[in-house]
Amino acid sequence: MPAAYLDRMMKPLHRWVWADPDRRVRKLLMFAEVETDGGRDIVRAAEITPDPLLRRLYLEHAIDELRHGDLFRDRGAALIQTHPARSGGLFGGTPLPGGHGLDDLAIDGEPDYRLLAFLHVAEKSAAGRFEIYRDVVPDDPSTKEIFEQILRDEVFHMNYTYTQLVRIAPRTYRRHVWRARASRLWNRYLRVAAGITSVLGATMLTLMYFVLLPPFAWLAKRAERREGAGWRAISGDRRDAPSSQY
Amino acid sequence: MKILGISAHYHDSAAALVVDGVPVSAVQEERLSRHKNDAGFPSNAIEWCLTNAGLEADDLDAVVFYERSMLKFERILTSALRTFPYSWRSFPHAIKNSLGEKVWVRGIISSYLGVPRKKILFTAHHASHAAAAFLTSPSRRAAILTADGVGEWATVTAGHGTRAPGATDITLLREIRYPHSLGMLYSTFTAYLGFAVNEDEYKVMGLAAYGRPTMVEQVRKLIRRTPDGGFALAPEYFEYETTASRSYSSRFEDLFGSPRTPFEPIDMETTEGRRFADCAASVQRVLEDTLVEMARALHDETGLPDLCLGGGVALNGVANARILAESGFQRVFVPPAPGDAGCALGAALYADRIYFKNPDRDIPDHPFWGPAVDARELAKAATEDGQTVQELDDARLVERIADDLAAGRVVGWMDGASEFGPRALGHRSILASPQSREMRDRLNRDIKRREEFRPFAPVTPLETADRYFELPSGGARLGRFMSGVFPVRPEYRSALGAITHVDGSARVQTLDQAMAPRLHALLVAFGKRTGLPVLLNTSFNVAGEPIVNRALEGYSTFRRCGIDALVAGGVVVTKAAAPPREVAS
Repeated sequence: MPAAYLDRMMKPLHRWVWADPDRRVRKLLMFAEVETDGGRDIVRAAEITPDPLLRRLYLEHAIDELRHGDLFRDRGAALIQTHPARSGGLFGGTPLPGGHGLDDLAIDGEPDYRLLAFLHVAEKSAAGRFEIYRDVVPDDPSTKEIFEQILRDEVFHMNYTYTQLVRIAPRTYRRHVWRARASRLWNRYLRVAAGITSVLGATMLTLMYFVLLPPFAWLAKRAERREGAGWRAISGDRRDAPSSQY
Repeated sequence: MKILGISAHYHDSAAALVVDGVPVSAVQEERLSRHKNDAGFPSNAIEWCLTNAGLEADDLDAVVFYERSMLKFERILTSALRTFPYSWRSFPHAIKNSLGEKVWVRGIISSYLGVPRKKILFTAHHASHAAAAFLTSPSRRAAILTADGVGEWATVTAGHGTRAPGATDITLLREIRYPHSLGMLYSTFTAYLGFAVNEDEYKVMGLAAYGRPTMVEQVRKLIRRTPDGGFALAPEYFEYETTASRSYSSRFEDLFGSPRTPFEPIDMETTEGRRFADCAASVQRVLEDTLVEMARALHDETGLPDLCLGGGVALNGVANARILAESGFQRVFVPPAPGDAGCALGAALYADRIYFKNPDRDIPDHPFWGPAVDARELAKAATEDGQTVQELDDARLVERIADDLAAGRVVGWMDGASEFGPRALGHRSILASPQSREMRDRLNRDIKRREEFRPFAPVTPLETADRYFELPSGGARLGRFMSGVFPVRPEYRSALGAITHVDGSARVQTLDQAMAPRLHALLVAFGKRTGLPVLLNTSFNVAGEPIVNRALEGYSTFRRCGIDALVAGGVVVTKAAAPPREVAS
C-alpha cells in the first residue's frame, strides 16, 4: 500500500491545505466537478453495457456519484456564503476548471472487466483520501459528515466492482486489477510530464513574446490606429479561393 | 454531389452531409460523445453521417470546414500584438491552443477521412452562418444579419441572399470586426453574473425578465454606437483580449459592482439578487436596441421583406421578437441551429450552391436530421430491469400519454430522428402539463436540477397558437423553431403558470402538424382533457448533460430523475419503485 502510506505521511500537509477557507472551498468545488464528471462517465457505462445486472449497478453507482457532486457543491456554496473569498481570484470571473472523471477513461469501446477493475482501484484510492480529509476537518462538522456519508457509499462501490469483476472475469480478475493500478500510475506520470512540458512551453513562448514580438507589436498598433471603428466593407468573401485557409 | 460539412475546435462541433443539394444527416458531436458542448474533432458525428447515408469517405466530392483556420490564427496573433505587453499571460495559451490542432485542420481531415487534400475546402465563418440561416429558409430573397462572439475577424455581418435556378448567391456587404463584438459583450456579462461562458448565455436572458434595465447608461459606456450605424466596445472595460481567465476588467467592476461567484444562489428578495437581475436586464436591453437598429438599417437599405438571422446571438429569442416587431421586416427566419454547430450544414450548403454552383433546392423545413430512436432498445432494457413496459399503437399511446400528462405526470418523449441544434422541438423532449407553477418548480428542482428562476417553454399547435399567445404577424414562423419570445395572453397567464415567465412571456413553439404529427395529436388529445392544447416542452436532459440521443440514454435519464413515464416510438415505460441495493458479495 505505498500510495496509502504516502497519503498518511502527507496528512500534515492536507491539514494545512484544508485549514485555509479559500482552499477548502476550492477543493470542495473541484471534488464536486470530479464526482459529477465521474458520475456521468458511469452513466455512460450503464448505457452501453450489454449486461443487465451491471447496468443496474452502474446506474446506482452513478446516482451516488452525482449525489456526492451535489453534496460537495452545496457545501462549497454554503462556505462561500459564510466565508467570502479573500480575493476575487478564487473564480476570476470564469467558471471553475472542471475535472475529468475517471482519469479521462474512454468509456465507449471499453470492456466491462477493464472498467470494473479501474473503478475498483479508483474507489479504493478515493476512499483512502476521503478518510484522511475527514480526519483533517474536525472543526467543520458539516464537511466531515459529507466525507462520512461518501465513505459509506464507497464501501458499496468497492464491493460491487470487485464482486462483479470476479463474476465476469473469474480467471483473470487479478490481472485486470493490477493492470488498472499500473494504468493509474502511468496516467499520473503522463499528467506530471504534460504539466512540466506545458510549463516549459509557456516559458519559451513567454520569452519569445518579450524578445521577438515588440517590433511587430509596434507595427500592429500603428496599423490599428489607422482602422476606423464600426462597419467595414467586405472586399469579397474569397469565393474564388475555396481551398484557401486564409 | 456529396458534400460533408464540419464545424469543430471551438464549441459545439458537428457534422452535416448534403447529397444533391439536400441535407440527409446532421448531428452535433456532443449527442454521440455524450460530452456537453463537445468541441473536439467530430469523428463520431462524421462517422454517423456517412453510415446513415450508406456512404464511404471515398464517395465524398468535397469536405468543407466552416471557417478559414489560418485567418483565425492571424486574428489571434494580431490581437496579441495589438495588446502587447498586457497579453503576455494569454499569449502562450493562445499559441499552444492554436498550434496544437486548430491550424492543421486540413491535414487532420485528410488523414482522418483518407480524402485527398484538394477535396478539402473552407468557407468564411460568417458565410457559413449566413448560409445556414438563408439557404435552409423558405425565403427566395432576404436580408441576412449574423452575429456571434467571433469568427475569423468578423463578429457581425450584414448582407443579402437570392435563391433562384442557377443564380443562388449570398453577398455579405459589411462586417464589424473583433474585438468589437455583441456576443463577447453578452458573454462578458455571462461571466460576470457567474455563469459559464459559451454555454449559459440563455440564463442571462432568463434572469433579465426578473430585473429592470436600470443600468442601461452604464452598459452604454461599454458599447458606443458609431456614426455609420455600427458599434465599438470600450476596451478599458474588457480583458478577454489579454487574459485567458477573465473577460472583464476592474473598471467594469467599478461600474457594476462585485461579480457574482458561481454557486452563489440568486435570490430576488435580496438587494444583490435584484442587482444581478437588473444587470442582466440592462445588457439584454442594450443588445436588443443595437440589433434592432442594425436590422432596421438593413431593412431600409435592402427594402426586402424577409430577414435571415444567424450566429449564436440569434438564439436570443427576446431580441428576435423585437427585431420582428420593430425593424420593418415582415418575416424573420432563424434556423434551428443558428450557432456554430449549424455552420457544419451552412458550410456544406454554401459549397454546394456557391462554390459548385449547383441548382437551388428547397430544404425540408424541419430540424430532424439526427439519429432515429430505436424503441426495441428501450423495451429490452426496461424489461430486463423489471420496469412496466407497454407497446401501444399510435392512437392508444397518444390517449394514454395525454391521460398521464393531464394527471400531472412528467413524460420523457422520444420520437423519430433527433433535432439538429440546441432546442428540443418535439423529438427529444420532456413534456408536462403547463398549468401550474408547482410543475415548473418540480421540473427545475427534481428533474432538470437547475436554478429556480429558469423558465420553461410551451409547445402548441400552430392553428391555435394565437389564442394563447400574442403573436405578431410573422410570430408563428419565428415560433416554428422556438426562436421568439412572445407575451402569453393575460387571460391565460394563470392557467399556463408553468410556462409563463415572470414578465408574462414565453418562448413558444408553434407546432405545424406536418413537422411532428404524433406530438401534434398529443397536444390535441391533451387539449380535449384540459381545454388547453398546450404542453410544457423542455429538452430531454438534465443540467450539464447533452440532450439524449439513443433510447438507452433516455432510459438512463428517466431512471435518474423524477420523470414518471418514458416513450420511445410505440413503447411506454412506467417507473417502478427502486429495487433494493444489490451487492453480490
